[in-house]
Amino acid sequence: MRSSAFSRRRALRATAAATAVALSVTLLAACGSSGGSTSTATAEDGKPVDLLFWGWAKGTKEVVEAFNASHPNIRITFEEIPAGNAGGYAKLSNAVKAGNAPDVFNVEYPQLPDFVSQGAVQDISKLVGQDLKAKYLPQAAELTSLGGRTWALPLDAAPQAFYYRKDLFEKAGITVPKTWDEFRTAAQKLKAAQPETRIATFFPDDPTTFEAMAWQNGARWFSTSGEAWKTDLTGPETKKVSAYWQQLVDEDLVRVQPSFSQQWTASLQKGETAGYLGASWGGGVLKSNLATTPDAAGKWAVAAMPSWDGTPASGMLGGTTFAVSKDSKKAKAAVEFAAWATTTPEGIKARIASGTSSTYPAATELVPTAAKAFNSDFYGGQDLYGLYAHAADSIKSGWTWGPVMGLTNGTVKDAFGKVAGKTGTIDDALAAAQQATLAELKNRGLKVAQ
Amino acid sequence: MTTRATRTKGTARPGSGARPGATTRTSARAAAPRRRGRYGAPAVLLAPFLVLFTACTLVPIGYAVKLSLFTEHRSGLGFGGTETVFTGLGNYTRALQDEAFRDGFLTITQYCLLYIPLMTALALVLALLLDSALVRAKRFFQLALFIPHAVPGIIAALVWMYLYTPGISPVLDVLETLGAQPDPLGHPLPAVVNMALWQWSGYNMVIFYAALQAIPREVLEAAVIDGAGPLRTAIGIKIPLIRPSLAMVGLFTVIGSLQLFTEPMILHNTAPGVTSTWTPNMYAYTAAFERGDYGLAAASSVLLAVVAAGLSFAVTRATRSRSERAREARA
Repeated sequence: MRSSAFSRRRALRATAAATAVALSVTLLAACGSSGGSTSTATAEDGKPVDLLFWGWAKGTKEVVEAFNASHPNIRITFEEIPAGNAGGYAKLSNAVKAGNAPDVFNVEYPQLPDFVSQGAVQDISKLVGQDLKAKYLPQAAELTSLGGRTWALPLDAAPQAFYYRKDLFEKAGITVPKTWDEFRTAAQKLKAAQPETRIATFFPDDPTTFEAMAWQNGARWFSTSGEAWKTDLTGPETKKVSAYWQQLVDEDLVRVQPSFSQQWTASLQKGETAGYLGASWGGGVLKSNLATTPDAAGKWAVAAMPSWDGTPASGMLGGTTFAVSKDSKKAKAAVEFAAWATTTPEGIKARIASGTSSTYPAATELVPTAAKAFNSDFYGGQDLYGLYAHAADSIKSGWTWGPVMGLTNGTVKDAFGKVAGKTGTIDDALAAAQQATLAELKNRGLKVAQ
Repeated sequence: MTTRATRTKGTARPGSGARPGATTRTSARAAAPRRRGRYGAPAVLLAPFLVLFTACTLVPIGYAVKLSLFTEHRSGLGFGGTETVFTGLGNYTRALQDEAFRDGFLTITQYCLLYIPLMTALALVLALLLDSALVRAKRFFQLALFIPHAVPGIIAALVWMYLYTPGISPVLDVLETLGAQPDPLGHPLPAVVNMALWQWSGYNMVIFYAALQAIPREVLEAAVIDGAGPLRTAIGIKIPLIRPSLAMVGLFTVIGSLQLFTEPMILHNTAPGVTSTWTPNMYAYTAAFERGDYGLAAASSVLLAVVAAGLSFAVTRATRSRSERAREARA
């Protein structure tokens, strides 16, 4: 009797313990990573190479499908992650830290040095031949080589462009401004004619638009001399741009709204904002953001970015690259995929035919392919790519992104918030970012030129 | 011997298969396995908790502490890879010296000063109303006021962001036609407090209401017989008697406030006033994911945890003496 009671209890205890162990094992498994890419499969054994790819650029899904259909030796698994600054970069750096990064991922030009400096990116110099490199626009290719080595393949060049409402400009009797002086005059005329309408927007949440303007004026925020970094966020070229924009904001000639926010979209829909100073990819974004707005189609047009002296000049606003992660053992296949996606007509066609992308390919010989694939009814049939091509040629070379761009941009963004709240100026923001960047460079042990 | 017998007898529970008679007869032989049984059952029952607690709380905390003691160093241009070096308390001093981190605590303090009195007052008034004889459809109101809490924080934040955004928000549109010029996104602190009020008042009201229901009815009857009206009963009898609940809600709210993250993070994208380091949690997030500085992120998280632990200790102590005083008052 007793022994049976004991054994029953023991059995119960054992079951409970087993359940507990099982429970915790499942939970632990759930806590852990969802599998990395550590296998070293090669095409030699007849099996295709499996590549994991993280990205978010528009039309990527279509590109991967087209690649998989035409390449039996490589099989890409595409996982869409949030756009870089919306959480994608956080996810990436976490995965790198945890050792389960994807083989290949998208990273934008400004963040590439940061990722390289964190040791997340593999040096692919040996896999990228001169003939491949020569296919890319030089201004884009130079942003992917750091310290004399190649770290990524450029997908697009992103020359600046000015999108505007033809009808609203006509109503106010203004022509497309060619210089920044004309732009201010046009802004005043537009506001006088339609007090509720502004010519464009200052994005307090987006340092990159401002950076492109500084770049256009010949500023170089970062440069290297020997093994040391030089940081110059407050030079005369930048100051000229900041003074100009400060005045536009102070005189209420531009709207101050976060980029791509509901607010911004709503004011475009209502015709309260008549223009958008963006980049080549903005053509697709604008089109899809306003797709459901009645009568929007056909009213928009694109013009070259105003410049300071009237001659074409452009910076670069964003733009995406393909990078291979540090620990991937399948770099060769990854580079093959990246080269296909960025330099073949099939790769570019698949992206643009998705309908949402107006990517300007960094591989310049594909521009006609892209132009043909892009439906420009929204812009009244205007030849967007012809305009982008001129702008791309006018991108100033020599710009380098810094190695702590996350912090630099974060500081600018926080301080631009005060510009929006009228408690600070653009110059304050640049000074704060210059100081914070220098401190961070030193903190990371990087050399800073005096 | 006697003590052991009573003790063993005490552990015999209904359904355990042991009878008191059997125990006394075989007490000497049974003592050893009995004792094992006494510790065995709690051990088995505690095991799942302890395993999970270790795996999901202690180990991550240990890892965070370890991370916080190291930093990554590069040299030259920084493209030659990183080197992890021990820095002792270096990350802690860096966090404490950073004005942005200290400002985060200032934000939290301002938030608490505005939010806690408002929320407590609102929840208490609602609970007292429900508890009084004045309100009909008690169940309906209880549920209706609780529902906001069932909405996930992130969804609530998105909905509120929509309501705060000029040009889209129907509420702001109506206010504007009435001549007001509200700018909630320009005043992030009240905006966040409002979101928290909406989400938590109903929840805390339920806690207060439950405490009010537990007040002995004869005490309230005695008050009524002594001539106290509803208001006098509420202020003089009910509130003092539910003080422990008030203190508990206060404690949870302070700890919760320290961890303020979701709502400001959502607002960060549209309200320029909400910087990336607006609260200490956001500071840690930014340090890790914008700056790639995991050491600094870990150090600031540990500091935040220490502050939270210190505050809980202080509030618990203050509460205990107060509830003891309340018990004396009752006696």
